[in-house]
Amino acid sequence: MAVFVEVDHVDRVFKLPEGGQYIALKNIDLQVHKGEFVSLVGHSGCGKSTLLNILSGLDQPSAGGIVLEGRQVTEPGPDRMVVFQNYSLLPWLTVRENIALAVNRVMKKHPQPVRNRMIDHHIELVGLQKAAHKRPGEISGGMKQRVAIARALAIRPKLLLLDEPFGALDALTRGGLQEQLMKICQENEVTCIMVTHDVDEALLLSDRVVLMTNGPEAHVGQIVDVPFPRPRERMEVVKHPNYYSLRNEIVYFLNQQKRAKQHKAKPVVAMAANGLEKVNLELGFIPLVDCAPLVVAKEMGFFEAHGLANVTLNREPSWNAIADGVTTNRLDAAMMVAGMPLGITLGYGNQRPRPMVSALTLSRNGNAITFSKRLYDQGVRSLADFKAALDRRPDQIHTLAAVHPTSMHNLLLRYWLASGGIDPDRDVSVTVIPPAQMASNLKAGTIDGYCVGEPWNVRAVQEGIGVVVAIDNDIWPGHIEKVLGVTEAWANQYPKTHVALVKALLEACEYCDDRRNREEIAELLARPEYVGASESYIRQGFLDPYDRGDDSEPSQVLNYIQFFTGKTNYPDVSEAIWLMTQMARWGITPFPRNWLEVAERVKRADIFGQAARELGLLDIGRDRRPTQLFDGIQFDPDEPLKYLEKFAIKRDLRIEEVPMEEITVP
Amino acid sequence: MTAPLDIRPARSRVNLQKLGGQVLNWLKSLIAPLIAVLIFLAIWQVMTMGPNANLPTPIRTVQDTWELIVNPFFDYGGTDRGLFWQVWSSLQRVALGFTLAAIVGVALGILVGTSSLMYSALDPLFQILRTVPPLAWLPISLAAFQQANPSAIFVIFITAIWPIIINTTEGVRQIPQDYNNVARVLQLSKSQYFFKILFPATVPYIFTGLRIGIGLSWLAIVAAEMLIGGVGIGFFIWDAWNSSRISDIIIAIVYVGIVGLLLDRLIVFVGGLVLPEEQKQ
Repeated sequence: MAVFVEVDHVDRVFKLPEGGQYIALKNIDLQVHKGEFVSLVGHSGCGKSTLLNILSGLDQPSAGGIVLEGRQVTEPGPDRMVVFQNYSLLPWLTVRENIALAVNRVMKKHPQPVRNRMIDHHIELVGLQKAAHKRPGEISGGMKQRVAIARALAIRPKLLLLDEPFGALDALTRGGLQEQLMKICQENEVTCIMVTHDVDEALLLSDRVVLMTNGPEAHVGQIVDVPFPRPRERMEVVKHPNYYSLRNEIVYFLNQQKRAKQHKAKPVVAMAANGLEKVNLELGFIPLVDCAPLVVAKEMGFFEAHGLANVTLNREPSWNAIADGVTTNRLDAAMMVAGMPLGITLGYGNQRPRPMVSALTLSRNGNAITFSKRLYDQGVRSLADFKAALDRRPDQIHTLAAVHPTSMHNLLLRYWLASGGIDPDRDVSVTVIPPAQMASNLKAGTIDGYCVGEPWNVRAVQEGIGVVVAIDNDIWPGHIEKVLGVTEAWANQYPKTHVALVKALLEACEYCDDRRNREEIAELLARPEYVGASESYIRQGFLDPYDRGDDSEPSQVLNYIQFFTGKTNYPDVSEAIWLMTQMARWGITPFPRNWLEVAERVKRADIFGQAARELGLLDIGRDRRPTQLFDGIQFDPDEPLKYLEKFAIKRDLRIEEVPMEEITVP
Repeated sequence: MTAPLDIRPARSRVNLQKLGGQVLNWLKSLIAPLIAVLIFLAIWQVMTMGPNANLPTPIRTVQDTWELIVNPFFDYGGTDRGLFWQVWSSLQRVALGFTLAAIVGVALGILVGTSSLMYSALDPLFQILRTVPPLAWLPISLAAFQQANPSAIFVIFITAIWPIIINTTEGVRQIPQDYNNVARVLQLSKSQYFFKILFPATVPYIFTGLRIGIGLSWLAIVAAEMLIGGVGIGFFIWDAWNSSRISDIIIAIVYVGIVGLLLDRLIVFVGGLVLPEEQKQ
């Protein structure tokens, strides 16, 4: 499907009268297909209407742009007609004259009788024949809104933009109009983008619901696919099995945004108790099967057992939100992708370096690489097939996605591609998408494959839109995956709390790896406030045989996700060095000349050791010896630079001394 | 559907009742002002009954001016005409000066309102000029026109134009952003924008300006005519003063007040005809 409207990395910055600026929208990126109905949902002040104004051309983005059918939008025009929130009918013109003004202007080329027929047809369409010669002041709000819709549809816009079109109407009128709009849009294949507050309205009308985070710097938090078949009937939509899970997903997101807003409003005061410096913790997690240790620690009371009386789990929309949350102290700690603490310490993406600490590895394995069904149908079954497919069609750009630059998914995907002779930057494009949006993007065709944790591979397989081509065990069994991350300043400020947190999570990890508990954990994870995906998706690999979707028999995978066994949890310096070699290989961070100092500073085996000893668990790590991935290239943690030299495909290496003393300032 | 035959008489009955009710309400609302007028007249009567009073009593006033009241249409040539003719010639001057002011004022107002350069350049000037008392213009206009009548008309013009310009400008600047957005999305041409959006949206403001303007011009004409002479209600009052006909002055003042009120009502009435319901202020 070709992209019809593209919102390309749009920023909108308002200058404030007393100087300074307000960043309303930050990096909004969205593609809409022809005939699609997309809703923008978010709290007031999240910039939904600003985005709609930018789409219409009434407002200009400060950076980025809007592309409609391959042409950039620079000014308002009738091909992007707006149905304004307050109708914006001209009160001195009758209903018919209001519509006629638009039609006569836009359809100048058609003869008058044709135009008159158009006008009358659209008045009929919204059932306003009797009011055609009344002025807006003489008709009801619902009728005015119908006039506005008729006016918009009559000029046959390519894109219909609706700004809370039913906001001011009573429930009965709203219901009727929604159905009329749905029918008209479907019959005329109008592409629509609608701003709304109403979750049910969004679910009834849309193909996709775009959830926006709170301003300032509002961005797309999550995109929810609405798979209900069309034509839709209100009552049937409500009965659809996914209706309430989707509704919950959206409401949960909005509630979370509201909490975030309140959180920003009042600075949190540390509550000391139970011999700990701080017992009210805000922890961040991403909806994935490997968030299990956090969920278990919360639900099974491990946090409380270790004195952490008031722990809140915050479901975050993306790994970037996690990184932001921890570095801005909104979150005390979070589950992080393996390379994130190192990446932030080294200042990935040209950000200011901030020292981070990771004293616990939460999980190993649990990822897979999924390709779209389309690629699979073209015969792509393996890396070699993919390489051949790329060579056949060098003109086609294939886009693959990972969840964060510093994540294992990105590094493994790139490693895997490069081992097959595919340059991940030149031969394909590797982009960053939050885990929960992978499947919907694959379905929409905006990406051709991805590397992500579960249940997002299973979901693609179960929905028949993707096929798993490789799992972790094919690439690097037992690799580090998720870690606990805090800022070094936080770790120094709350040392006892930190140990208690590590203890609680360590116990939770042990609990997670006992297969007797996994049934219960799968149920917990399926709840909408955690992963919010169907339990059958979560069970695969975690409990049940894993279905790769390639018509092979689903098979039980040993240690598909590992939380405790095999010395999972020790913060291993060798792994940190491997991560730094790979981040340097792809130009994400420079490679520190003082790599050991950086790795030791981030990976705090002392804190882990104290926690493990207090629990009576083993406090030793893995044996320090050279390791290798599936391609057999030896990694010796003492010779990282020699390791980097072995790779043919890599970016220009930056090898820099990272002065750890200077970046200690929080 | 056999109902229509029955419905019609029923409807008209309802209307008759309604009309009756309205008339009754109207009469009721007249009672209070009537009593106020009677009290005012009574106080006037009491205060001017003494032998040393400088002003005539109301009864005396009516007796003195009975001829003027019963026959406003006489014309004995020269300035010796009935009150109707006096008022009529004043009104003619006002009509001419005010019409000119309306045309020029609305045009200038739209020009200034649409261009922020013009606005910042001219608005301070307008704000200064509008505070100049009407009669201060009279010597200049006499010097410029050398004739009484055009000078009076010019004074009307210059008095009435400021509120019209200022209100029109404000109207143009206050056009709701919604209407402008509609125009931008539809890519209306300049002339379509002017006739379909700008002008209609400004009309309520223009009428506010016209209403203030007509009041001011009626104020100005009476004063101007006192100075320049000729037929007109202003000169009639001045002439009466010179001939010590105090009663005539009083009756002329009543005329001036009533005509001023009628002019004001006239503008409101025309505005009501032109403006749709939503725009009325």
